Order: sequence, then structure tokens, then C-alpha cells
Amino acid sequence: MTRKQRRLTLIGSAGAVLAVALTLILIALRSEIVFFQSPTEITQNGVAPGQRIRLGGLVEEGSVVRSDNAHVRFRVTDTANTVAVTYKGILPDLFREGQGVVTEGVVGSDGVFVADSVLAKHDENYIPKEVAEALKAQGHWQGEEGSTN
Amino acid sequence: MVFWILIALLTGAATLSVLVPLSRSRRGQEAAPARADEAVYREQLAAIDKELERGLIDTEAAEAARTEIARRLLAAHDRGDATKQGGPRTGRLKLAQGLALLALPVLAFGLYILLGSPGLPDQPLLSRLNAPAEEQSVDLLVARVERHLTENPEDGQGWAVIAPVYMSLGQPKASAKAYSNAIRILGPRQTWLTDMGEAQTIANQGLVTAEARAAFEQAVALEPSAVKPRFFLALALGQEGRKEEAIAAWQALLQGADENAAWVGAARQEMARLTGEVPGSDTLRGPSQEEVAAASEMAAEDRQAMISNMVAGLAERLSTEGGSAEEWNRLIRAYMVLGKKQDAEQALTAALSAYADKPEDLSMIKDAASKLGLSDG
Amino acid sequence: MIVEFGHYALVLAFALTLVQSVLPIWGALQKDDRLMAVAPPVSVMLFVLVLLSFMVLTGAYLSSDFSVLNVVENSHSAKPLLYKFTGVWGNHEGSMLLWVLILVFFGALVGIFGGNLPADLRAVTLSVQAWVSAGFILFLLATSNPFTRILNPPLEGADLNPILQDIGLAIHPPLLYVGYVGFSITFSFAVAALILGRIDAAWARWVRPWTLLAWCFLTLGIAMGSYWAYYELGWGGWWFWDPVENASFMPWLAGTALLHSAIVMEKREALKVWTVLLAIFTFSLSLLGTFLVRSGVLTSVHAFATDPARGVFILALLCVFIGGSLSLFAWRASMLKQGGLFAPISREGGLVLNNLFLTAACAAVFVGTLYPLVLDAVTGEKISVGAPFFNLTFGPLMVPLLMAIPFGPVLSWKRADLGAACQRLYAAFGLALLLTLVTYWAWGMEKVLAPLGVGLAVWVMAGAMSEIVTRVKFFEIGFKRGFSRLVGLPGSAWGTAIAHFGIGLTVLGIVTASAFQDERVLTMRPGDTVELAGYQMTFEGAAPRRGPNYTEEVGHFSIRRGGAVVAELDPSKRIYTARQMPTTEAGIYTTGFSQVYLSLGEGRGDGAVDVRVYYKPLITLIWIGCVIMSLGAVFSIADRRLRVGAPKPARKRQQSMAAAE
Repeated sequence: MTRKQRRLTLIGSAGAVLAVALTLILIALRSEIVFFQSPTEITQNGVAPGQRIRLGGLVEEGSVVRSDNAHVRFRVTDTANTVAVTYKGILPDLFREGQGVVTEGVVGSDGVFVADSVLAKHDENYIPKEVAEALKAQGHWQGEEGSTN
Repeated sequence: MVFWILIALLTGAATLSVLVPLSRSRRGQEAAPARADEAVYREQLAAIDKELERGLIDTEAAEAARTEIARRLLAAHDRGDATKQGGPRTGRLKLAQGLALLALPVLAFGLYILLGSPGLPDQPLLSRLNAPAEEQSVDLLVARVERHLTENPEDGQGWAVIAPVYMSLGQPKASAKAYSNAIRILGPRQTWLTDMGEAQTIANQGLVTAEARAAFEQAVALEPSAVKPRFFLALALGQEGRKEEAIAAWQALLQGADENAAWVGAARQEMARLTGEVPGSDTLRGPSQEEVAAASEMAAEDRQAMISNMVAGLAERLSTEGGSAEEWNRLIRAYMVLGKKQDAEQALTAALSAYADKPEDLSMIKDAASKLGLSDG
Repeated sequence: MIVEFGHYALVLAFALTLVQSVLPIWGALQKDDRLMAVAPPVSVMLFVLVLLSFMVLTGAYLSSDFSVLNVVENSHSAKPLLYKFTGVWGNHEGSMLLWVLILVFFGALVGIFGGNLPADLRAVTLSVQAWVSAGFILFLLATSNPFTRILNPPLEGADLNPILQDIGLAIHPPLLYVGYVGFSITFSFAVAALILGRIDAAWARWVRPWTLLAWCFLTLGIAMGSYWAYYELGWGGWWFWDPVENASFMPWLAGTALLHSAIVMEKREALKVWTVLLAIFTFSLSLLGTFLVRSGVLTSVHAFATDPARGVFILALLCVFIGGSLSLFAWRASMLKQGGLFAPISREGGLVLNNLFLTAACAAVFVGTLYPLVLDAVTGEKISVGAPFFNLTFGPLMVPLLMAIPFGPVLSWKRADLGAACQRLYAAFGLALLLTLVTYWAWGMEKVLAPLGVGLAVWVMAGAMSEIVTRVKFFEIGFKRGFSRLVGLPGSAWGTAIAHFGIGLTVLGIVTASAFQDERVLTMRPGDTVELAGYQMTFEGAAPRRGPNYTEEVGHFSIRRGGAVVAELDPSKRIYTARQMPTTEAGIYTTGFSQVYLSLGEGRGDGAVDVRVYYKPLITLIWIGCVIMSLGAVFSIADRRLRVGAPKPARKRQQSMAAAE
């Protein structure tokens, strides 16, 4: 092989790998990212059944119902609208009524949000940033921004 | 002073770390590092020989690699010769020395004065807690005992020590808890039981609760002649509206009492009020919530008088100076709680006449009264 | 007084970094030996000063000196001694002080052990290191001073975030920081090389041990952090693609690429431009990670806007160092001479392929980490990029890389014979194929990909070993001579084989623990038994317990297998008193390389608890593999050839020079 051919092979393979990486990233950005929505957005705009979303808000006071085998039902509210959620699993340590929560899953045909993960952060002051902003949008939030260590 | 000496020493060490290498001549040693890259390439050559020997590469590849490395070695050698120019110049040296001698200390000192708190001593918790008692604030002393007690929660004597302190700090609840710990660990004693009951009473705005009452009763059982618990028990009877029993209790208490004892006056007044001979004496005012703390520093008997006459004081003030509708309500409620229904009705009448021309306040008083089960007739 | 002494030491260190920033590089440019000679002793002095101030802060924590604001905010007198100690770096200010300590520590290491370097390269490298140190000490003093005092000290502190009160915190951040910040020294070497215009094979050789050292610690730090999250968060997950994790993972990927490209540069003087660029990128990613974690942008883009002092300062440092070094690179890179030539199929080609995949993977992680932040800042739209994104991008990029790993070491330099290389790997390939088929046979076709993953992992491990076996030629020369050859192999060859074997182990752990794990979530009452993967777990009951600064509800479980009790597990739910914050402590039973993992959910009041039970086959291999990888790095560092160039006694040197000429 000549010097030029060698260099072309090198550049060609580099280009090929980068193209593959770029394609993968673009596909993934299209299909694998999950949008955050507040209860109000879900109620107003609706969600296609089966589309994964992140639902965030406050756990409505008195709405948590636990039943056997770690089935939990609760409602997530942004103070204007609420969405019912079901979840099977252990809730995070900082999951409490009246506190912020982010859940991820799909909306079922009956309108109930079926979550497969419920998130709370390492810090008790933490309000998920999406939740804080959604609540601000509803005008119900004056607190400091949480901080994590 | 020691601090400034230490700081000066540290600064001196830092300055020296710059000055010493500056002043030392490096002529003898400079050659070695300049040849460092040549050593690397020479080693690479040796490595090729070894690989060839092991049969990891064939002769042809080894030869090619050797030429390549030899070329690098030559280039490095040439460059090594080329770098041998320049050298120390005194002007540059002076400037560098000046930087180390002047700029370094000035900058460090200046910045530190700006940022630091040079006068502030260390305050490790242990030495703060172990400092001589007279230098410590009460808070610190309490913290010290508290610390001791969290480590040794079974030290009953410790609880007994801190209980009256809580009382004097205006924390009757904590005091009651401390007494109860002391009693749990070291067994019941009359004085502790009494003081616990007293603390519980003060924590409840002067009302002798069932819990406190039980404590007083236990104290009396331990020492039937003790005055203080009997005093509170008599007070409790009065508060519960068991007038006859209360009077009997006061009488028993006053029998053979030393007339000079501080509590005697209070007891007499209380009894007099119960029998209705003299309405609440004008010399006495009930303790306000803020006065509870101060009260605990007085003799128990005096304090008790204040507590039991709190209501009387309020009534006095309202009848002479007048007051808000809320204050009247408070008085009426207090009478009812103390079981003095008659007095409550009287106060209600007085209040209604005082606010006859203010319909808003009037209806508020009426509402409150009807909630307490009083008619405004 | 002692506290103030520590404060002064830090301020003095800042002033001294300024001296160090100027004198040695000035000396190098003017070829003045005396000015250059300043660098090593000052680098050691800097380390001593920062170490002093770090020790003073530690002392304040140990003695609960609540006149120091930082101690008040992050400690508590009742905290166990170990956590008073580790609490020093369990907060923003303290961890930044640790950052700076490691920064000057690496400077001091080069000062002490850099005797084999040319004086000018060492001087400039230490000056550049001092620039970085000056920037970060200034950041500490200006926005995050750990020595801020208060006049009327309170009697009790606010305690350390309970989730950080764990032995994991004692080990994880220092390891991670040594790795993270360790790449600063390769960065300094790269910038120094650009300034001096000496970018050659010898440079790559000199930088190699420092890269290896940083990489070794970063690997351990990431593994530690992963294990810590695994047992402390109680979710049974060991990697969450969380931005904080990604922040340490990106420098690792870039650092791994750097490690490999530096070999090409050292042996063939090729890929020079690329290697220097990678050295700059790796530390830039470390800085970026520090920015992400320390500025608060991860909590909220808007938190950053409301309290900008810290964030803006780090952002400015980021821009100065990354922007400055890249500009320098753009200016100087053009003068680099073309290096050695190589055919596409060659050791060099293999290493280029390795670099391509690693950087592409790093780019994918970069996009996944930053895209949500950028989108939020620009459009306000909120998205989450989670595991599915990374599985789709990172995963496919790793598979070809893993398949290629065994080929790398068996290819020869310059031009290689692929057929011959394959011949050496027949055995490894056969073994991998066999184990794939065995896995299919054991598990059926229900999981299509998992057996292939097992095969891939075995391929990497067996390939790494066959490299050693072929180099030793056991089969041709017999065991005895083979053994002596085995011992005589250079450390770098051992390092390669061991590190690649470690990668294979980690992959095996990841595949089996993800694909073959068993999980049950259920409510258990005292006396209930659940069966999972052949283990019977009985809930014996729960009882409260008091710790030094927490209370906990402990569930007691006995684990049986075939009737006999093999373990007792006590997972618990803790409440830390000072902050009233709950945490979960998982109960873990390790059997062989597999684990049974139990964590408690909310109690139900009537004695029943929600329980999550996992059986995770071979999961410990994930972390064991990482430890073995770093062991590989240790072997490589120990290679005596890396020490070549140290000044030898004069007579010997003359002899060797005479021999060469």
C-alpha cells in the first residue's frame, strides 16, 4: 500500500466509526429520551398510550395507599391537576406525602400512570429540579433551590 | 505571639525553598538531564536486541526498528548540543530573589490579613466544655451535663443535678423529664417527686395535672409531713372545684405551721378565696407565662401563691383599668377552668356591660361564653 | 490559633504557586539552570503547605471546633470518629481542598521522582501544574474557604449528610480524586511539551507512568463508587448513568485511550498530535466533571444562575485551561513532524481502532450527559437521558472494541499478518464458543443475547491469557524453561494481559448479573419464607436498634439452602437523628462471586415489611475485574524500563556513551 492509501484507510475507518457513533446517538436521542411532564401537561395535552414519560410533582397528602407485595398507589399533583400512579416496588427512602417525586413509566388505557421507577435524591432538601420548576409554573413554590452534596 | 512566630517561620521556609536552589550553582549536574532522552532511546535499542533474542520479532523487523530508533537517538543528541546556550545572568537572578524575598511574604501576609481572623483562638468542643465553670455560660454548662448524660444515660445523680437547672432556665418540661429519669434510676424521693410535679404544673400553666397529682400523692405517701406536696394537692382540689375538701386540706396544712413561712400567706389567701371571705387580694398578681421562669427562683411557696392568684391579678386589672375583649374572654375561661363558675358569671356580666356599645366585641364575648356553657343572662 | 495557622498555610501556598508559575518556565525559556532548579523544591514545599492546611482542617473536625463554619455545617460531636475524619471531604469546601492537595501532591511527585526528565521539561511541567494549582487555590480562598470562622460558635453542628456516613465515603472520593486530578500532570506534561516544542517518543515514555498511576486510581475510584451506590442506595443497581457518575467515567474513557495511544507514540513516534490532544482532553473532562458536580448545574440550571459565584468561577477556570491549552495546541501542533508509518493491519492500527471506539463511546456519554442540560438552558424543555440511551449508544460501540481486544497484543508493529495472529487465538476462540454454547444449553434460547455476552467476556479473558502463553512458548520449550521466561516477561506485557483479563471479568459480571438475576418484591410477615434461586429466606422479625447518631429498624432474616442456615442478614432502615433523614442499609450475603441482596421498604405497622430480594449471579466480578485492571496498571508501572533515563553515576554513563558512539 502506498502512503496515501494507508492514510485513506485510516481516515476512512475513523470516519466510519464516528459515523456509526453519530447515527447511534441520533437514533437514541430520537427514541430513548424521556420527556418530563407535569400533571397539568398530561391532563391538558394527553399522552399517547405506551409512550414513556417522566411525571413529576408532589405526592398528594393522604393519597398513598399501600397493599400487599409492595404495590403502592398514590397521586401526583402540581396543585392544579393530579394524576393517579401505581407502582410495584420499594419506594425510595425520601418518598413522603407532600414531598416532591419523579416517576417514570407509561400511561395505561384507564388513564392511570404505571410507574416502573420512582426517584428521590440523596438529600432531604432536594426537590427534583423539574418538579420545582413545574410548581413554579403553577405559582406555588417560593423555596430555595435544593442542593446536593 | 507564638502564632506570629509560627507564621514567620512558615513563610521563611517557603522563601528558602525558592532562594536555596537559586543560589546554588548547578553547573556540575546539568549534563545528566539533558541526556535523558538519549538514555530512553538507548534502552529501546537494547529492548529490540532482547526481543530478537527471544524470537518475538524477526531479524528484518529488528533491523528496521533499529534504524528508526537510531535516527531518533541522533536527533536527540543534536538537540542536546543545541540547548547548551544561555545560562545564569545576575540581573535575572536578582529579580527572582527579589520575588521570593519580597513579593512572596507581602502577598501571603496581605491576603491573609484580608481573609483570616488572626486573633480568633481555636475552640474545640472538649476544651470549651472542660473550661473552669466560672468561665462558662449556663448554656455551655448545660451542654456539658447533657453530653455527659447522653453518654451515661443511667447516671441518676446527673439527672438530679440538671433538673433544677432546667427549671431556672424556664424549661419545666425538660426539668420534669430529668426528675423522672432520676427517680427511675435511683428510686423515688419526696423532694424529686415534688419538684417533678411542680415542673409539670408549671409546664401546664399552673394547672395541677393528673400526672403531677400522682407525683405529689406519692411524695406525701413517702413523707406524710412534707408541706410542699400537700400544698400542691390542696391547690389541685381547689382547681378541681372540690371546695370543701380543699378548705379542709388548707386548714390541715396551716395547722401548727410556722407563721413566718413564706407559703403561709399564700395558703391563707387561697383558703380565704375559697371560703369567699376576701376576694382576690389586691397585693397579688398572677404570674404571666414569662414570669414562670423568674418564679422558679423564688421559694416554692411564694411562687405557688403567684400561680394560684394569677387569675385574681387579671381580674383586678380588668376591673380597674379595663381591657380588651380578648382579655375578658381569657379571664372567663380561666375561671371556668379553675371551677369558679360564679366568678365566671360575674366576669361575663362585667364584660358585657363594658362592651355594651361595641356590638362586634359583644358578640365575640357572647360566642366565647356560650362555648364555655355560660348563659349571658 | 492552629486553625488560623492552617488558613495561613493555604494562603502562603497560593502565593508560592504564583512564584512557581513564573520562575521555572522563565528559566526554561531563557535556559537558566538556576531558575529551573527552583521547581522541584518548591513543588515539595507546596505539597507540605497544602498538607498542613488539610491536616489542620481535619484536626478541627476531630476536635469538633465549631468556631469553623465548615465544621458546624458538616459535623456533629456525636458522630463516630471515622466519619468526623471522612466528613472533611464530605462537603464542597473540604472536597475542593482535597482536590488541591492531590494537585500539588502530583506536582511534588514529579519534583521528587522526575530526576530522569530533562530539566527544562520538568521545570515547565511543574510551572503548568502550578498554574492549575493557583487557579484552584484561588477558587477555594475566594468562593469556598474552608477556614471561615464564626465568632459565637454554636454547641452542636448540623451533622454530615447520613448517606455519606459510610466506609465507602472514606475510600471512594480520595481514590476518585487521585485519578481525576492525577490526569492534571499528564495535562501539564502535554502543555509543557507544546511550549518547549519537544514532542517525541521519549516524552511518551516519560508521561506513561503518570498516566498509568492516575488511570489506576480512577479505575479503583469508579469501582468503589459503584459498589458504594450498590449497597448504600438499596436499589440493587450498580451503575445508573447518573451525570455525576458520567463525570468520572468520561475521563476514564479518554484516559484509557490516552494510555494506548501513548504506546504507539513511544514505540513508533506516530500519533503524536493525537496523543497530546488526548492528554489535554482527558484533564479537560476531569475539569468538566468538577464543574458539573461543584457548580450546582446538575441540581438545577437555575440554581447556577441564582448563586453564580462558584459556578462562574469554575466555568472561568474551565475556559482558561481548556481554551488556553487548545489554542496552544492549534498554534504548535502544525510544527510536529510526521511520525512512523504503519499498515492498517498492525499493532498501531489496532491501537488506533481502540482509540476510535473509546473516543466515540466517550463522545456518546458526553452527549447523553450534557444534552439535557443544554436543552434545558436553551429551550427550557426538560428531558431525561437514562440507561436506554446509553445502552443503545455506548453498548454497540463497546462490542467491537471488546471483540478486538485480544488481537491488539498479538499483532506485530508496522505490518502484521492477520492470519498468524488469528492462529494464536484459536484456543481462546474455541473456549469462548464452547462457553457460549454451554450457556445456551443451560438457559435455553430464552435469553438470546446473554450467552453471546458471556462468550465475548470469555473471549477477552482467554485472549489475554493466550497472549502470555504464546509469548512464553510453554508448549514448545517445556514447562521449566517456560516458567523462567514467564518470570522474565517485561512488566508491561504482564500489565497488558492482566488489565485485559480484568476487562473480561468485569464484562462477565455485568452480563451475568444483568441477564440472569432473580428479583422478588413482596410483603413479608414474621415467619414468612420466600424462595429465590435455591435460597430460602425467612423473615424472623424486626427490632429497633440505637446507633451513635441514628436509630434503626432492623429486619432479621435467615438464609437457608437445602435446609441448613447459610447466613443471617440484618438489613435495616435508619433514621439519622440530627437531620431526621432516613437511609436504607441493605443486607448482602456473598457466596462465591454471587450475592443475595436484601433491602427493606417501608414498615407496615402490623409487623409486616416490604422486602426486595435479589439474587445477583457473579456480580462481584464487576468490581473484582476493576481491581484486576488496576493491578495490571501497577505491573506496568513497575516495569523497570520506565525508570530508564534516571541519572546514573558519572563513570558508567561515560562508558555507555562511549559504547554508543
